[in-house]
Amino acid sequence: MEKINFNLLFDPLSLFFLGVIFIVCLPSAIYSIGYLKGEYSRAKIALAWILLLIFVLSMGLVVVVSNVLVFLVFWEIMSLVSYFLVVFDDKNEKSIQAGLIYIVMTHIGTAFLIAAFMIMYKSANSFDFLSIKNACQLMDGQTKNIVFLLLLVGFGTKAGIVPLHIWLPAAHPQAPSHISSIMSGVMIKTAIYGIIRFVIFILGVHSAWWGILVLILAVISCLVGVVYALMEHDLKRLLAYHSVENIGIILLGVGLAMFFLSLNMPYLSIFSLIAGLYHLVNHAIFKGLLFLCAGSVYKATGTRDMEKLGGLIKKMPQTALFFLIGAMAISALPPLNGFVSEWLTLQAFFLGAIKVSGAAKLFLAVCAAMLALTSGLAAACFVKAFGITFLAQPRSSFALNAKEVGFSMRLGMFILSTLTVVFGLAAVFVVRLLAKVCGCATGIDLNGMSFSLNNFILNPQPGTSAYLSPLMLTLTLVVLGGAGFVLYRIFNRKATIYNTWDCGYYKLGGRNEYTATAFSKPFRIAFSFFLLPYRKTQKIRESFYHVKSFAYETHTTPIFKKYIYDPTLDWVFKSAKFMRKIQPGSIHLYISYIFVALLLLIVFMQRF
Amino acid sequence: MQAMILFGVLVSTYLMVIAKRTPALIRSFRYQSFCLFLATLIIALQEHELDLYIIAGLLFVLKVVLIPYFLNRIIKRIKANENLGLLINPQLSLLWALGFTYLSWVFTRHFLAAAQLAGGSILAIAFFVVFAGIFLMIFRMTALAQIIGLLIMENGLFLVASAVSGGMPFFVEIAIFFDVFVSVLIMGFFVYRINKLFTHIDVNKLSRLKG
Amino acid sequence: MKILMIILQLILFIAAAPFLSGLIAKIKNNIRLRQGPSIFQPYYNLAKLFSKGEVVSQTASWIFWVAPFVLISSTLAAAVLIPVLILASPMHQMGDFLALVFIFSLGRFFLALAALDTGSSFGGMGSSREMFISSLVEPALCLVVFSISLQFNSTDISAFSGMHALSVSCIVSAIALFLITIAETSRVPVDNQETHLELTMVHEAMILEYSGRSLAIIEMAAYIKQMILFFLIAQIIFPIAALETVEPAQTIFWLLWYLARIIIIAISVALVEVSVAKMRLFRVADFLGFAFVLGIIAVVCAILGV
Repeated sequence: MEKINFNLLFDPLSLFFLGVIFIVCLPSAIYSIGYLKGEYSRAKIALAWILLLIFVLSMGLVVVVSNVLVFLVFWEIMSLVSYFLVVFDDKNEKSIQAGLIYIVMTHIGTAFLIAAFMIMYKSANSFDFLSIKNACQLMDGQTKNIVFLLLLVGFGTKAGIVPLHIWLPAAHPQAPSHISSIMSGVMIKTAIYGIIRFVIFILGVHSAWWGILVLILAVISCLVGVVYALMEHDLKRLLAYHSVENIGIILLGVGLAMFFLSLNMPYLSIFSLIAGLYHLVNHAIFKGLLFLCAGSVYKATGTRDMEKLGGLIKKMPQTALFFLIGAMAISALPPLNGFVSEWLTLQAFFLGAIKVSGAAKLFLAVCAAMLALTSGLAAACFVKAFGITFLAQPRSSFALNAKEVGFSMRLGMFILSTLTVVFGLAAVFVVRLLAKVCGCATGIDLNGMSFSLNNFILNPQPGTSAYLSPLMLTLTLVVLGGAGFVLYRIFNRKATIYNTWDCGYYKLGGRNEYTATAFSKPFRIAFSFFLLPYRKTQKIRESFYHVKSFAYETHTTPIFKKYIYDPTLDWVFKSAKFMRKIQPGSIHLYISYIFVALLLLIVFMQRF
Repeated sequence: MQAMILFGVLVSTYLMVIAKRTPALIRSFRYQSFCLFLATLIIALQEHELDLYIIAGLLFVLKVVLIPYFLNRIIKRIKANENLGLLINPQLSLLWALGFTYLSWVFTRHFLAAAQLAGGSILAIAFFVVFAGIFLMIFRMTALAQIIGLLIMENGLFLVASAVSGGMPFFVEIAIFFDVFVSVLIMGFFVYRINKLFTHIDVNKLSRLKG
Repeated sequence: MKILMIILQLILFIAAAPFLSGLIAKIKNNIRLRQGPSIFQPYYNLAKLFSKGEVVSQTASWIFWVAPFVLISSTLAAAVLIPVLILASPMHQMGDFLALVFIFSLGRFFLALAALDTGSSFGGMGSSREMFISSLVEPALCLVVFSISLQFNSTDISAFSGMHALSVSCIVSAIALFLITIAETSRVPVDNQETHLELTMVHEAMILEYSGRSLAIIEMAAYIKQMILFFLIAQIIFPIAALETVEPAQTIFWLLWYLARIIIIAISVALVEVSVAKMRLFRVADFLGFAFVLGIIAVVCAILGV
């Protein structure tokens, strides 16, 4: 038995992920000062801090350890601590339920990881990353394929790729908001770290179908995530579904990198990985920001149901601004960071489509189109999320009595929204930094590769003149918008403030407004083949002509739950019932089982 | 001399298998432990090793004196039915035991090469003792029978170890003794609690606890 | 020189864009055997709106005030991004063809928010429908960009300006882009600019609460966006070489052809508008699905090199 080393590995890849953890966890921790106060008792606040500390520490260690066993230990600590944070509201039945789903799913994932690590260990006879990396070069293709699939399922469960995403929208919203922010922003990214570290760095991409498989899963995750998010009217669940979508976008970059690596295209693989990692850090920032904002809304109003909110932009102007920035970033609107990384991902697809031949071109084009569809749907979803939550009139007394949240909470959100803008404008610097990270992850020499024209203009296609300069774009937008505003002021006319036009109906109130459900109706119908919506109506009549009251409900069928998880659970329970027959509770019988097993083992040993 | 002792172990084991009441079982266990003690003492005298003396001493103190005393005390304190509650009657049990003896002989023959067969009988008896322990655990109802079954198995393992490699390393042996002693204490305590809660120590009825 | 070019291009767009809408309206009316308003009616409308005061809903927040400026600035940014006069984009370092798609969505996002801001159900309806249509437009548009860029080996928007061979792929992508343009400029099978019927309106429902100068700005942005899209189609399907000589006869011929391309597209839009009936909202998905399929065909053609 070898000695286990606890050496930490601080290569650029690890440092990058440490950085991501840091820039999300710090504002979230600041935020939690105000968030926890008044919400929980003093003892629980202390507990929350301790758990937060362990959680952040374990995540940090997960990305820097250099030994598979130690990795697994911290991975498990991370999972367990986050479980305790999900069930932090232990009075809430839903939290317990969500925590249960989470812990079961995450352990299924870990089981797959352990299997993969065992195979790796068997070939390397060592738990050390570098020795495994060396041994993996001698591994035969079949084993590599198996290890890859095991790793993909294992890390995919943590990342929440479809159809393993089922725990994510359940667990993330139930945790306290700063924890949701860290879980969605950072924790699921450790799975991406795992994929990059173990599949790309250690195992080495073996064949092209690995990349294609990841791309297909990523596209499905994108679309499923965003379509479910559109149907959601719980603010935090909506954000959680967007995490599924964004993990898909990140994996598009990673999958492309794997695809190009197998085709031996160094420039393209580096570029795609840059796009993926750029989106990763961006998503960490803006999703962290959005969860913090959702937490502020919850704290101020006491509800997360969008149908009960509205008009918050006047009560909580700063939170609204921060949420708007986050929403713009996640909808890939220029010039914020989400736009830059989605543009880079699309560019990666395009560059790949130029270089590869035949049907692969079409495949990449369709993937890119699906990414475009995703970003369109995401924009629609955030028009809904922001519009229904913050604009127009309050829809209930929850929203009516809201107040702006405290300073520490605003500070946390402010830091993240500043980062959102900075990461958009400083795209070239980020890309250069990421190039180093990707060079380390793929082991490709970066000399002679350049991704930008100068410090402000991205140029992903060397030799051609396709550029992007977020800074220049911002300046243009500001100048043009400013010019428009100046013209507007010159011809100043007085604006009359009056009621919204109400078609002669004498008073418009919150009840007349468009709701989140109504907003998403076109999407519900267009995607009905997937969402399988159904509705229940109930009329109570006094007479045939007079309907006294009318109840209307509409729901969508959760098809993954209904057609994958429920049957599986059913099967498990049925077989458990069957197994119960051999377990009647008699100690004597149990001892005889042991005895028989022992005898069989001895016989078995004799035979072989 | 050694053959005599081994025979003593065998007979005491048969006695345990046909025992109907707990005190009888404990008494037979005492005999068996005493035989082991004698065997160890003889080897110690032959080889003049301090370790072996200590092991023999511990064997005597723990298994011949303390544990049986403790078990008897429990029986007295819980005032339980002295019957073991036989799932298989003594005659049939004896038949089983004979079958086990033959089986362990067969095993031993498989394990050992022909040259070593001379020392094979001790291994066969050791296996038989282990089997008998398991047998008692399975086919006797009270919790005390389970404790004694475990102790018998431990005796068997002691024999196996000394037959195969001339005894385990000293510290391991010491550790096992304390382990057994402590576990008997703990299990005794459990039996006491079970009796208090359910007014019986019939393990068979514990199946009612199952959900 | 560059600044001058940018300003010139901006002026061109601002000055000429309303004319296209007027032209389309005139053609439509004439086909329906009506007199119709003058070709310059959009200018009159804009002038009128600019000189009028505004009524703003008391429910509205700053989003409502800001949206027109975001919309116009993003549209104008798109206008300086595309190659028009010298057949090269004056600000091609700012972004490329893909970036154009995102720049358009910026303005749309704010307009959709502003529509929700007043608390009117019409606004919500328009906002929801607009986002629905635009999200379905995105994949088709992306495929068009892909097929064009695959042929010219770059996503640079200037790459396909100038003279180029007219391949099958170009034609198919131009048709797909034409369908997208119809959806994006709220033309008939998808939307109808002429009615204010709550069941059918999309774009008009969104801007229902706007009045005065804000409305003028939004209208202007819509005209400019339409012109940008027309320009793109024209560049793809009617390639034109840069003007090389300064000989008057040739220059005039060049200019005429240059303008005629845009007008041909405007006429075809008008023809489509009068010859089809408006679709139900949920049929729009099929319409744009067709554009998507055309996009795929265009990509396949580009791969095959035809």
